[in-house]
Amino acid sequence: MADDITRWSDELARDPANLVFLMLGEALRKQNQLGVAHRVAVKGLERHPHHADAHDLLARILVDLGDFDQAFDEWDMTLRLAPGHVGALKGMGFVRFKQGRLPEAEEYLRRASGDATMPDVGASQALRTVRQSGAFVAPVPAPVPVPEEEPATLFARVLTGAGQTALLMDASGLVMAGSYLLADGSDVASEVGAALSGVSDEADRATRHLNLGEWTAILVETEAAVIAMAPAAEDGLLLLAASRATPLGLLKRLLGRCRDTAREWMEGRPS
Amino acid sequence: MITRVVEGWVEEPLKRFVDDARVVLALMLHPSGQVMAQHGFARAMDVMSACALAAAIHASASELGRQLDGKPFSGIHQAGKDRQLFLAEAETAQGSYIFVTVFDAESSLGLVRLYFEELRAGLASAAPALEESSEPILAEHFESELNRNLAALFGRA
Amino acid sequence: MTGPRTPTPFGSLLDTLTRQRGVKAGMVVSESDGIIIDSNMQIGVHGDRVAALAASLYRKARMSATAAGLGTATFFQLEAERGRLCAAGRNDLVVVVVTEAQANVGLIRMELLRAAEGFA
Repeated sequence: MADDITRWSDELARDPANLVFLMLGEALRKQNQLGVAHRVAVKGLERHPHHADAHDLLARILVDLGDFDQAFDEWDMTLRLAPGHVGALKGMGFVRFKQGRLPEAEEYLRRASGDATMPDVGASQALRTVRQSGAFVAPVPAPVPVPEEEPATLFARVLTGAGQTALLMDASGLVMAGSYLLADGSDVASEVGAALSGVSDEADRATRHLNLGEWTAILVETEAAVIAMAPAAEDGLLLLAASRATPLGLLKRLLGRCRDTAREWMEGRPS
Repeated sequence: MITRVVEGWVEEPLKRFVDDARVVLALMLHPSGQVMAQHGFARAMDVMSACALAAAIHASASELGRQLDGKPFSGIHQAGKDRQLFLAEAETAQGSYIFVTVFDAESSLGLVRLYFEELRAGLASAAPALEESSEPILAEHFESELNRNLAALFGRA
Repeated sequence: MTGPRTPTPFGSLLDTLTRQRGVKAGMVVSESDGIIIDSNMQIGVHGDRVAALAASLYRKARMSATAAGLGTATFFQLEAERGRLCAAGRNDLVVVVVTEAQANVGLIRMELLRAAEGFA
């Protein structure tokens, strides 16, 4: 195993785009070198953001690190890229089982088990474990009312790292949700939002005239920060800023989560 | 800022140019100096002066191009400290028109040239065929035509 | 890519950039004018159009970041359904790359940052 790790590391150093990072990351995970494995997976995802197995790898590492929510998100992404991905279905079932959400765990594992012609033994065993856990209750529980989010802290549950901040702006550049806090605690969301919102107009014009289709993300690296922007509902704009140390791949993933949060929030708002 | 035109077919291409290129001023005129459309001017007097100057610059530059290069220059660009000027000709079924625009740091020469090509194509396709009964503009009619056009642009003589 | 190139100060930089998989065009553009200084493009890429729009976009992003107190912009990327624009610049020169949607941005970014360093 150690020889493999050395060999794969060398290959990756020679060719950073090589998919060998998938094997290297998994080997490091199995050796419980989770920090290194995480870096390998994130770097690999920066180069292969649409590779389902890369998301699957990161999810497995995150589970080992105890970050079930992010792991679930990664597997969710895996499924979007590769519908029916057995590893992702098993992983999501596992996370829901650990979270005590047994009906959901059973559903994921049932899908992972496959049909009679091609059963997945591991998933079937896991499914039996869930069903025998005694806590499984068939009826779907009544929906729990979601507490109303404060606009200023809308993205707090998505943004976990220091120095990360997100804003949601409407079509006229006015802040709708989120905050932009300076070190002294002052919120300069309106100022930053106004300064950066004009970039999306330029992006609209450029993509229209260059026949690139709709723009999906803008990334800007500056001396002080990395910034990501994405279109939001009703011609709004989502803006995410993080410390310069944040890898661009991770920034994009955070942007995706913020976009989902913003969309849910917008859909739940009275019009 | 409001875009005003003397003839309807000019309006849509010109508005699109102004929106896309984000220029400060735009002026379209007949080589004789008659104004056809403007954007960004507040006073009729300014339009009148700009038309006269643009027609003169165009005539001089065309002649200079002919003498130096055997053909008129296709466009003129003048860069100032804060603002820049671009002047070129647009050919339509109604004849040639001079187009002059002024832009600042919100735009660039590359953008103006890019969108001017689209304006030129838009005008060429929007211009109605020239009616055979149209009479050439005579010098003695020039001032009254100019005033009529200015009145149409600004709502007063 | 198009035929033999006359050697220019940016020739080798553009060759390096356009050798990357998925890159459709590389160009050095004047940021303030939006006009191509040198380019290496596949047939079908509208160079003047890309130069004008990409330079304007990069300038807007750079000025907006400065206005927002985030310091000087070093790298810019626009992702769209059918491709990407990447840019880095310094001293009124911007190096712009047009790529397919699935291109390896990590490598391109490193090359662009290195190129922009050379504009100092």
